[in-house]
Amino acid sequence: MGEELKVATGIKRRTVIIGGAVGAATLAGGGLLLRTLKPMEEPHAPLAGSATPLPRPSYTDWHDVYRERWTWDKVVRSSHFVNCWYQAHCAWNVYVKDGLVWREEQVAEYPQTNAEVPDPNPRGCQKGACFSERMYDPARVRYPMKRVGERGSGRWRRVSWDEALSDIADKMLDTITEHGSDRIVWDIGPLYTEGTMSAAHQRHIMLLDSTSLDQNSEIGDAHRGVAETFGKIGFERSADDYMYSDLILIWGSNPLYTQIPNAHFLTEARYKGAQIVCIAPDFSASSIHSDLHVPVEPGCDAALALGIASVLVDEGAVDLDFIAEQTDLPLLVREDTRRYLRSSDLRKGGSDEQLYFHDEQQGISPVPRRSLALGSLTPTVDGRFEVELASGETVGVRTVYSLLREQLADYTPEKASALCGTPPATIRRLARMLARARAAAMVTSSNMDKYYHGNLMERSQALVFALTGNYGKKGSGFVGFPWLDHDALEKFIRSMFGVGDMLNPTAIKTVGGMLAKQLKWKAQGYTDEMIVYEQGRSVISEGRMACGALFWYVHGGLLEASEKLQEWDPYLERPVREVLEESLSKGWQEVWPRPGNDPKMLFVLGANPLRRIRSYPLVLEHLWPKLDLIVTLDWRMTSTTVASDYVLPAAAWYERDEHKWVTPLMPFIHSGEKATSYYEAKSDWEIISRLTEKVDERARARGIESFVDRRGDELPLHNLYAKFSSNGEYGHTDDEKVCAYLIDNASNLGDLTWPELKKKGFARFEKIGHGAVAIGNATEIEPGETITPLTKHVFDKMPYPTLSRRIQFYIDQELYLEMGEQLPIHKAPPLAGGNYPLILTGGHTRWSIHSAWRDDSLMLQQQRGEPVVFMSVVDAAERRIRDGGMVRIFNDLDEFEIMAKVSRSMRKGQLTIYHAWENFQFKNGKGFQNLIPTPLNPVELAGGQFHLRPMVIALQPGHTDRDTRVEVEATSDGASR
Amino acid sequence: MERQLAMVLDLNKCLGCQTCTIACKRLWTRDEGMEYMWWNSVNTQPGRGTPRDWEDLGGGFREGIPEPGRIPTRREFGEAWEYNHREVFYGENASGSGGGAGQHLQIQGEKPDWGPNWDEDQGGGDYPNSYYFYLPRICNHCTHPACLEACPRKAIEKNADNGIVTVNEDRCRGYRFCMEACPYKKIYFNQAKKISQKCIFCFPRIEQGVAPACARQCPGRVRFVGYRDDRDAPIYKLVDKWQVAIPLHPEYGTEPNVFYVPPIAPPRYDENGEIDELNPRIPEAYLVSLFGPKVIDALVVLGEEMAKARKGEKSELMDLLIAYKWKEMFGGFDEDPAAIEWVKS
Repeated sequence: MGEELKVATGIKRRTVIIGGAVGAATLAGGGLLLRTLKPMEEPHAPLAGSATPLPRPSYTDWHDVYRERWTWDKVVRSSHFVNCWYQAHCAWNVYVKDGLVWREEQVAEYPQTNAEVPDPNPRGCQKGACFSERMYDPARVRYPMKRVGERGSGRWRRVSWDEALSDIADKMLDTITEHGSDRIVWDIGPLYTEGTMSAAHQRHIMLLDSTSLDQNSEIGDAHRGVAETFGKIGFERSADDYMYSDLILIWGSNPLYTQIPNAHFLTEARYKGAQIVCIAPDFSASSIHSDLHVPVEPGCDAALALGIASVLVDEGAVDLDFIAEQTDLPLLVREDTRRYLRSSDLRKGGSDEQLYFHDEQQGISPVPRRSLALGSLTPTVDGRFEVELASGETVGVRTVYSLLREQLADYTPEKASALCGTPPATIRRLARMLARARAAAMVTSSNMDKYYHGNLMERSQALVFALTGNYGKKGSGFVGFPWLDHDALEKFIRSMFGVGDMLNPTAIKTVGGMLAKQLKWKAQGYTDEMIVYEQGRSVISEGRMACGALFWYVHGGLLEASEKLQEWDPYLERPVREVLEESLSKGWQEVWPRPGNDPKMLFVLGANPLRRIRSYPLVLEHLWPKLDLIVTLDWRMTSTTVASDYVLPAAAWYERDEHKWVTPLMPFIHSGEKATSYYEAKSDWEIISRLTEKVDERARARGIESFVDRRGDELPLHNLYAKFSSNGEYGHTDDEKVCAYLIDNASNLGDLTWPELKKKGFARFEKIGHGAVAIGNATEIEPGETITPLTKHVFDKMPYPTLSRRIQFYIDQELYLEMGEQLPIHKAPPLAGGNYPLILTGGHTRWSIHSAWRDDSLMLQQQRGEPVVFMSVVDAAERRIRDGGMVRIFNDLDEFEIMAKVSRSMRKGQLTIYHAWENFQFKNGKGFQNLIPTPLNPVELAGGQFHLRPMVIALQPGHTDRDTRVEVEATSDGASR
Repeated sequence: MERQLAMVLDLNKCLGCQTCTIACKRLWTRDEGMEYMWWNSVNTQPGRGTPRDWEDLGGGFREGIPEPGRIPTRREFGEAWEYNHREVFYGENASGSGGGAGQHLQIQGEKPDWGPNWDEDQGGGDYPNSYYFYLPRICNHCTHPACLEACPRKAIEKNADNGIVTVNEDRCRGYRFCMEACPYKKIYFNQAKKISQKCIFCFPRIEQGVAPACARQCPGRVRFVGYRDDRDAPIYKLVDKWQVAIPLHPEYGTEPNVFYVPPIAPPRYDENGEIDELNPRIPEAYLVSLFGPKVIDALVVLGEEMAKARKGEKSELMDLLIAYKWKEMFGGFDEDPAAIEWVKS
């Protein structure tokens, strides 16, 4: 031991100071004395350099077993490249020992934004803290596997990469030449990074004109109500911005489960003086640290919000200046048609998009469209006027506010209470808290969008914050979908086309065509944000982000489950199939491949569609038989891999060089350096790169020089891999070069380089950038400042990307008028699944990110080892169900068994099964997904109007699950004793 | 010089996320014989906890006299469950097309009726006045450790320099008197090694100036670490100066060195749906049963200081609990473990 002290000077110095520590303690007779490094009166000496060499302990007594355990060979920085979304991401040190990842611990070096807010350290969660265990557990995929039995039989043959890729490439060529390139469909999921994985996938599908699905509305994250109101969904604050709030509404969210690394900002904001209100049907985990829990019936939040709005209007607590400038509430609506008064009404050849308000001086005036600034205009907020139309006819027009005020009479606290179950006194209290608040903030997640009428809930919530002027100010605001990314991905994808590609149809379409369009949009006064959204809309019609939900409804047979919708939804007057046909024929929404053109191949990239899709048995029944080949790339076995034809082993998150998108909540890009390798696993970049090369090789061998894409253009195949790799610049294992390109070319990461990022593991964004979603944050990222969204609208008066160019509460598209949803209203939830007494809801779990940890042994050990349904003591007692007993849950669709968890925190009438149990965790493979019909809400098929047209990740029809009706009964072994 | 390391856990910041639990598990209890151990556990209160009904299992002291206790059974702790993953993915009777009629993932062997976090989020009260909070627990590294007194082998040691209580695994013969005696039931038995094992307050980390994994990895920023007598550090201020941090079950008589800032729940509703100003949501009697009568004073102080903060006034206590600078939570044990490079001898 004595000799070891000489290994490095640092050791000797430290050892001398302490007269003990690692080595010396063991020298000091049997090691019975534990000593600390040094007496606490002395501050610790700063560590010299980045690493302090210490000798590994050799065995003297039992202490050294523990000391030896806490040693390692090297430390590498990484993160978990999964969509933890609101809580993304956390920088981890990955400790490697004997060639394997031994454990991980947070880096915890995030800077404090400023002295008024706490620093974010250490971040992390229990899932991240055991990925080192998860990546080596029995679910891990080690080598390429080809199915040899029936699909789903569990019979596999280990194959070489070459065999797998050759076979897949040949099937792709067959599909492209015999059926059409759009019949190859990619399902992308929560492992999508916007780094190397996405770079490979996007280049590949663009060159081969494959269809890739935009799943955001399918998963229920598309925040339709936000998009309807703001013309976009991507805006959120930084989590430390809560420290400037004095009122925080947790509404439609459970951050103690789903924002574990961010949640301390809420508990700390409470200590700083903010009042925290948690609005939720159950006494959720997030309620326990609140100052007020507001109970509400599931799916009835619109009634609660409108109740609050009615009090605000009634008590004169409305911020009139804000709504006059920022919202459509002063805009005029024709009484006869219920449509906005338009320029086309007032003069022949007038625009259909120019709307009007009444100015106190000038009377009926066009709403400024290039700026929100009112100048000398003073719009009348509440009023009725008469207008002479171009036809000579005189019609009455009213402000949206006046229509709203009239409608709010249906939502007095007493009436709202009858609809939503919240006591009237609480509704009044909440309204007055909001009215008094200096800065009221919203904490929400993508919960409301998973309700059939979620859009109405979100529109109503946004209204409450607008009436009180709670936008743009530090610590204030309703928020949408959090997204922040580097903005270089599209540039990387297009950079595969060079000057020599003047005749390449894809290059012309995507690069050349876009420039001309941009000029046109600019001339029309579009903001940068609006131009980015229009570019995104082009990507959708290319098929690179085709509507996922409609794909499953049309090609996956899911629409079958909506056939009883008119029985379930009392407001619906015609079959939804009819509305779908109308929508597709009018070009409001699009389906790829076109109806009748069966998909032939499905690639699943870091996704788990058979776990994810509500009523997935219909997909198995309708879509699976049509598919010639199903290929899944993943690092673990899932409900989808078990039903695939090929499983290709992807590198786990510590086994690759990668970086990933995040959100403004934690505005730091995160990266990972490859720490170890495992069997035959390869990065997604490498897998897709090799596949692309193989398609090229097989096309040459088979003499296929080109193919005709979905637009009828002939695309070359002879230089496929050359294009993909930028003429060899980005080879199969050049993940790091791709990372470097993306970081170097991002407009919003300053001078950051990939080597710097890789070393540190994270870096703060310097700007919002021009990303297809992130630009919606419409704010600046300043050093030393927290992030508050929408400041560009509220303070710089930038128009919103809506029809009215304002925050828009009134929608006059024909489907909205037909459904009576032109203003935010409350509609009773549909009886999805039949007329049963209980509502089966869900929520993201504390215990997994999607399904990635659902079958992890450590996580299961901290639960009950199997899926559970939370239910109230009242419902359980009425049905003689005991805690821990098995129950049968059923509705018109199906039935399944699950363990009951009887909880005092649950509201009567509501069952909750948290997110993402794998199908194979249920007896007979049947779980809650089997009971969820995900009825298609026809209003979501709307389009045509400026901001209602489908856009990237929003304004496409979606799937829902929260309204599912069921009954439950004890099984023979589940009854109370 | 005799000093005592201590920990303060702020229950108003605990998220129940179990990152502490997993951090500890991954670091210390992964070997054979340790699979079922959770040296750090977090339970929903009210609840039966881990091991199940541990508060009814005796141990500790009453007025200085040792109380009889019993050893929790493996069933009460909860077994480490094993699963049939391979059968589900690759077996003859695999799970089918995303969940067909085949084998499903199940715990192998007898179906359990308890685990370390079995009653998570069930809580107490009657809706809408439900209540619960999370209670993380480690070994209390007591000043008067019942386990130490009970061990006939003198295998339990309390380090004179920092007060960490450890089982000397060279001396331990697995008699398990310590498990009977510990009133907190935080000692486990290793069937493979036939010795008792428990939280070691991460002494190898402490030796290098690094906070214990449960504290340093806590994303809720719940845990303060340091010497009891370090007057400049948060522990002393919270325990002695502000007296808002109090031990769990002080009546057990072991003088724990783990302290808790008690929870403040939202108000309850009366039968008219109005806020009930008179009765707190978490019954005071319940909190007193856990933390003793001093919990009331602690809650009063917390309430007063929170009220000051709401008025925009400065509060040293609130600033301490917010922990603007994370590293300052650790009483000087704030070294970065990744900065250590181990050199093979």
